[in-house]
Amino acid sequence: MSFKPGQIIALESEEQLCELVKKATSEGKKVRVAGAGHSSSPLVHTKDYLLSLKHFRGVEDPNLKTKRATVPAGMTVKEAGKDLYRYGLAMHNTGDVDVQTLAGAIGTGTHGTGKELPNLSAMLYGLRMINGKGEIVEINRENDPETMQALQVSMGSCGIFLKMRLQLEPAYQLYRKEYCVSFKDCMQNFEELKKNRNFDFYWYPRTDLCKIRIMNTDKERMPHIPYGSPELEREGPSHEILPRSRDLKFDEMEYVLPQEKAMECFYEVRKQVKEKWRRTVAWRLLIRSIKKDDALISPMSGRESVTISLHHNAGLRFWDYFKAIEPLFLKYGGRPHWGKKHTLKAGTLKELYPHWDRFQKIRKKFDPESTFLTPYMNELFNFEK
Amino acid sequence: MRKIGKLDWAFSGGRIPFGSTGEEPEFNSHDKISVLNTSKEAAKIGIFIFYEDQAPVGTYEVEVEPKRLRKIRINDLIDPEAVALERNYGCYIRSNIPVVVQFSRMATGQQANGIMGSMAFPAD
Repeated sequence: MSFKPGQIIALESEEQLCELVKKATSEGKKVRVAGAGHSSSPLVHTKDYLLSLKHFRGVEDPNLKTKRATVPAGMTVKEAGKDLYRYGLAMHNTGDVDVQTLAGAIGTGTHGTGKELPNLSAMLYGLRMINGKGEIVEINRENDPETMQALQVSMGSCGIFLKMRLQLEPAYQLYRKEYCVSFKDCMQNFEELKKNRNFDFYWYPRTDLCKIRIMNTDKERMPHIPYGSPELEREGPSHEILPRSRDLKFDEMEYVLPQEKAMECFYEVRKQVKEKWRRTVAWRLLIRSIKKDDALISPMSGRESVTISLHHNAGLRFWDYFKAIEPLFLKYGGRPHWGKKHTLKAGTLKELYPHWDRFQKIRKKFDPESTFLTPYMNELFNFEK
Repeated sequence: MRKIGKLDWAFSGGRIPFGSTGEEPEFNSHDKISVLNTSKEAAKIGIFIFYEDQAPVGTYEVEVEPKRLRKIRINDLIDPEAVALERNYGCYIRSNIPVVVQFSRMATGQQANGIMGSMAFPAD
């Protein structure tokens, strides 16, 4: 995904950022913050001002007693994980990929896997940000929990995150094992496998095989998998074991489904992929579990969830495949991952989120002139301006 | 044991069948190359796929350990991109050390299975 912004600006101080937002608002222009470029949806596309927060780095105020620390918005998930570890702290979970900015991952409801582990936004205890009027705002879960529920997953539409105060865990070790198993064995043991701290699986369309991936903090809890062939075994600090680095370039669609309907949906998706799509599609599908949260427009808001993601090589025709499968996701009540490919607009999205109007009301309060709403964001939120 | 084989190999009759019958993955129709490395060092293999109507795609990179055999299903290659089923392709395989390459196809679209195998063409 590529685009040409009007200006790319990397300012060094909060004051400069405030001035820029005021200037943009007075000019009727838009401001977006560039993350690390990992997202495959056009959330940051703008013809106006694209900000880089690369100068805002370095963990601040770690507190082992409250298990909190402040992470500036320019840091990637990987950088934050390494830096927090120095202070004896760790994030409860991350995804497979850790190259995104943590602010971007939080703002889009990005997640890892684990049925007792909510998405990354659940760590957000407090915020320091710039609103659409160019003012600094400080807010946290104690002094305004309802507003935090809106800001938690808001895709930069309410303001520019400067610093995030995170609720963390003491640094911990993880043990990881991966096995290749038959589809039948994977399905028969799915509920049992979900009891592990972290569990997900890939399904491979051209072999009908699965790769299961299991992580636990306690080595004794690591299960023996007699029906699988071992592929990998590792242990180490969580920030080194959770991500699995890869250089492959791909496009991705991911939907978040209510857990009680997700596997029925997966069976239907699998059938369609085998019958119609594996002629051109060889990439695996990824199935993960995530605990519900209470953010107003988090894809996991209010419901225990299972996600299904489709992948296709970047450069190959992915839309035909994604658009053919997307109606199945919607049929089972799926909500799209905000940072990945989907075709939904405000009219459909509103129906998927019971607190949609509440979110929009709060959003407008922070950004009355819609400085953070680009044409794409406008399609998502359907604001007049 | 001495190194046997060639550095460059090719075949031109690639076309992965789409239809399959029977249990998966054992009976998935597929094209496959088998690479034999008799030497004491790892063979670094680069695969390029040629088509009738577009530029070649590659390099698909594969390693074969010393004194080992490795079977590679063309169906499973995904980096840099998946090879489409039911599409004519040719294949150029290069190695940093001499190896032996055999090509085979299994087509299970009908219940009576068909298996075909041949040597790839040693090009160097």
